Amino acid sequence: MNTRAPIIVIVIAVLAVASAAWWWSENRPPAAWSEDEVAVLESLWLESLPDLPPDPTNAVADNPTAIEFGQQLFFDTRFSVNGGISCATCHQPERHFTDGLPKGVAIGMSKRNTPSIVGTAYSPWQYWDGRRDSQWSQALSPLEDPDEHASNRLMTIAIVVEDKKYWRMYKSLFGEAAGVDTMYSNIGKAIAAFERTIMPTTSRFDEYVAAVAAEDRERQAALFSDDEVRGLRLFIGEANCTQCHNGPLLTNNEFHNTGLINFPGEVPDKGRIVGVREVLEHPFNCEGPHNDAARKECGELAFARTGADLIGAFRTPSLRNLENTAPYGHKGQLATLADVLAHYNAAPDAMIGHNEAKPLDLNDRELMQIEAFLRSLAAPATFEQDKT
Amino acid sequence: MISRGMVSLFLLLALQTQAFAHGGVVEEDDICVIKVNYLRAHFKIYQPRTSGHEQFCEDLPAAGESVFVMEFMHDALQTMPIDFRIIRDVTGKGRFARMEDIEAIDDLDAATVFYQSATLEPDVYSVVHTFENEGDFIGIVSATNADSGEVYAAVFPFEVGFTGWGYWPLFIGILVLIQIQYLAMSGRLKRWFAKSSPAAMLLAAMLLPMSQPSHANEFIVTYTTPDGPPEINRMHSWILYVESDSGDPIEGADIEVDGGMPAHNHGLPTQPRVTEDLGDGYYRLDGVRFHMSGDWEMFVTIRSDESEETVVIPITL
Repeated sequence: MNTRAPIIVIVIAVLAVASAAWWWSENRPPAAWSEDEVAVLESLWLESLPDLPPDPTNAVADNPTAIEFGQQLFFDTRFSVNGGISCATCHQPERHFTDGLPKGVAIGMSKRNTPSIVGTAYSPWQYWDGRRDSQWSQALSPLEDPDEHASNRLMTIAIVVEDKKYWRMYKSLFGEAAGVDTMYSNIGKAIAAFERTIMPTTSRFDEYVAAVAAEDRERQAALFSDDEVRGLRLFIGEANCTQCHNGPLLTNNEFHNTGLINFPGEVPDKGRIVGVREVLEHPFNCEGPHNDAARKECGELAFARTGADLIGAFRTPSLRNLENTAPYGHKGQLATLADVLAHYNAAPDAMIGHNEAKPLDLNDRELMQIEAFLRSLAAPATFEQDKT
Repeated sequence: MISRGMVSLFLLLALQTQAFAHGGVVEEDDICVIKVNYLRAHFKIYQPRTSGHEQFCEDLPAAGESVFVMEFMHDALQTMPIDFRIIRDVTGKGRFARMEDIEAIDDLDAATVFYQSATLEPDVYSVVHTFENEGDFIGIVSATNADSGEVYAAVFPFEVGFTGWGYWPLFIGILVLIQIQYLAMSGRLKRWFAKSSPAAMLLAAMLLPMSQPSHANEFIVTYTTPDGPPEINRMHSWILYVESDSGDPIEGADIEVDGGMPAHNHGLPTQPRVTEDLGDGYYRLDGVRFHMSGDWEMFVTIRSDESEETVVIPITL
């Protein structure tokens, strides 16, 4: 007994020291940001967003009349076969211009998850598969899609011509009546002028980066919990999120295969490999007869990449305001942020093509911390109506 | 050496048990390949609703939604209309069902549970079918050569709701294979083969799993490599098994073997020869050596009675 007592004491002491050390390592205040990390944080800051680049394909892109005309068109349900569907049916402003559904529902069920419009004026490609290369050519496609507005070009033009207010605005922008495709693409350009104004606003994350830039430790602590700081450090570091979700909009607007599962009852979606063929041939593309750009301004289209690594690849979505954009993925396959993070943590083999992501091997607590950080990106979108 | 041994062990197991192989273990050395005549594609089946991202090769654990994916290894398949049919196994042949058995079915449509008519697919071929019931099925993939109009077909019988025979065959298989691996690695097996009698070679051919079959019109060739899996820069032997298209062993044939790398436009560094007719359709082929890793093809020319034909065996090192 006499010899055993000290051994027990030593064991207890070692355990106590070990668990204290573990507790300390898990709960001590996060380290200060290094110079390199601050540079990355500032690159994600909304303040770093450059001025909106001009859209040479759309001569009325920044015209105030076009913006107002486009805004009215965007919310007008007459542009549909049953008079009940507008752009805003699926792109709901209060949901960050998405609809909360796995796949959009209008006249029928759309083929993919409704992507947000917020900040897409900065993207060279529209849609999950980038099958359009301008906001105006994108805006025209749902009008004719039998599962979306199920309308057509003539019906769309007729409504504009017969509505006195619309026709006055149209004429002041584009002049008298012309060929069907010209008039139809003009209507798209007005919608795009409005969509160009839909932008994210300052989130708590952006305020935090401002505090980091100002080296205001007190304000940093008031804005971000330790978990959020750790989550942010994982986000820009170990979890490799910024490989694709980079820049102030937290997207590179490029195409990546991340191995998402198929939608029930459907074959796996081939994504960009099909989208790139479509955009290269589409009459409303940057090199088509209805755009306002000179051919030399169509760099993205001229240098668009094709090839087998685009099989099953989809455009990186922005991470601003994830609160209102669930479910996630091109078919809404992942219901919650926790599901998204679990998916990237496992990075399973893709059903078609190759998953570019590699397993992360993060633990539950680390995943929770990344999720906590992601929620700090919540902030409503702004658009023209708010400004006037 | 050990990891190579382990991989081949798993490969052997996968072949022997017709398991739901093709999981993470054989990721690099993918064995699940569908051959449509000489055209090959990576083949995988998913049951995403019940098994998530898990891949299956032939047999499926349960009824329900199943996604069949073919990733082409020959570009020619991108330009050939492909159709895909799944029938209930009404041939009574189970695993041994072949194209003739399918052609002999009176009412193919009545047995068909899924049919995707011919389509051109430039990227990756996939179909989805929801199995209502468990049971034995046969998949038939046909590709039409646009130039010649010739139709190439692949037939693969499979089971839905496959439960296997428990772990006993696997356990015994592992014990036997560990022993064989040990003998192979210690070099004893090699020495034994070098001086072994035809009877011992025959026994080896029966013990060791044979390759996937390679078809021509009249002959089918499978092979095994008794002194370990082929590796580059090592002279080794094969045992060929030659059978007729109807499954009868071809005995006493005159066999010539040549080979090369189609991508590099060069032949084998050696001139392998059949050195022994082991009987029952088995032949011993000596002097095989590959000197580069990559895709090789072996051309086995068989002369038997009045007919002569070359069978192409693809092999990747």
